[in-house]
Amino acid sequence: MKKISVSLVAMLVLLSLFGSLVMADNHGDMAKVRVLHASPDAPAVDVYVNGDLTLEEVPFKTDSGYLEVPAGTHDVEVFAAGTEYAAGEGVLQADLEVEAGKAYTVAAANLLESIEFVVAEDSMEVTEGQAKIRVGHLSPDAPAVDVGIIGGDALFSGAEFPGITDYAEVAPDTYDLEIRLPDGTQVLPLEGTELAADTVYSVFAVNTVDSLEVIALVDYEAAATPDEMPTTGLGTPQQSQSMWLLVGGALVLIAASGFVWRKRFQ
Amino acid sequence: MCGENDFNKLALLLAALFLAGCTSPQDEVSIRSAEVGFAVKAEPAWTEQAIAQEKVKEIKQPEAPSKQAANPINELNQPGISPETLAIPSIGLEADVTHLGVTDTGEMAVPDNGDELSWFSPGYRPGQRGRAVIAGHVDDLDGPAVFWDLTELEPGDEIVVSGEGRELRFKVHKMESVPLDLADVDSLFGYHSSPELVLITCSGTYDYDRGTREERLIVYASLSEE
Repeated sequence: MKKISVSLVAMLVLLSLFGSLVMADNHGDMAKVRVLHASPDAPAVDVYVNGDLTLEEVPFKTDSGYLEVPAGTHDVEVFAAGTEYAAGEGVLQADLEVEAGKAYTVAAANLLESIEFVVAEDSMEVTEGQAKIRVGHLSPDAPAVDVGIIGGDALFSGAEFPGITDYAEVAPDTYDLEIRLPDGTQVLPLEGTELAADTVYSVFAVNTVDSLEVIALVDYEAAATPDEMPTTGLGTPQQSQSMWLLVGGALVLIAASGFVWRKRFQ
Repeated sequence: MCGENDFNKLALLLAALFLAGCTSPQDEVSIRSAEVGFAVKAEPAWTEQAIAQEKVKEIKQPEAPSKQAANPINELNQPGISPETLAIPSIGLEADVTHLGVTDTGEMAVPDNGDELSWFSPGYRPGQRGRAVIAGHVDDLDGPAVFWDLTELEPGDEIVVSGEGRELRFKVHKMESVPLDLADVDSLFGYHSSPELVLITCSGTYDYDRGTREERLIVYASLSEE
């Protein structure tokens, strides 16, 4: 059940950021990446992508939201906020590869002395009318845990640091959830959790075990798109109109000058 | 005699006016949208989040001071609003917003008049995570229509969307005029991790074969406050 999703070796990531993403008119070869600061004792960080300062002063427990980045391999390097950039000198570096049309979460996890990337591919789809959820274990000193209904079944079993589970699809509803040890001891209650239809959630357990807390993010919400752009002009300008104006003007001119000529020769 | 001369002069004058009108470029929509476009860095998402969370605290604490921290999953609930009106003070625009879906041919549907705007209601709601799309005509049979002045927008201009007794404020951060065939519909109408508003109208020169203009003017704005 616990599918540990890779530390850096594996996949992906990101962004040559705002500059290029703003200028890209073709989104066909873009990927989405969000960065999550989940290292409890690390300071706020600056994230450099391919040597460019891309995210500034990201504090613990915050995420960047999805950034659109070109598909391909990117050099991602993390520095304590305000540190001058020097290639290879960051607290964390990885060559991350992202595929077009996919979305990823890149978390900086573990304690600062052994900080590491935890990367997962995020779902951008959900069965209509259903909700989807997964959990990430990003609390470096917490034991393996289950997440499930209070007094009921586990939705996720044996989630270990540093890992992110597969998604589970559930009916939209309000659930009394908890994070608990496999023996049933409650670690953190999540009562009255409302999971909405057509929505994909990621719930990350972060911070050290003595102050364990949860970061919840929405990975995706489904909505319809049209096939084509709207036709947003009711007028039909120039050409046809101006052609008629041209013809009309010429006729008037001819008629008028004929009139003048006739008068001259009379 | 006198009257006849006047008539001749008038006729020549009219003819000259007609011709002058034809020789100078006159498709104002295409002129106005020829050189538009800008993009500014959007605020980092965590800035907005931090602000939003502070607000939530201010509101919630007096009401329920003794309750334990709210369930962070439920704080994600951000349903947005069903839009009724849209205003852009910087260009003096105020218009009603109708709710439409797609046409028989799969296009985003638009109002049958130049005064109203249409929200793509099968898509995201304004204020919900994702891109809510509102379209309007640039011109109608009589001339300029509701989105005639959209090209005048500048970075930071405010767009106010109202509905269901709430008012959402968006800030313009990007404008581009995109050839119709290159417009990425899935992205324009797609998911975004923060609420965005996208305005669309026609731009570029008129394509008589297709019966529409060659480009679409697209304005992007991000939610700034409620």
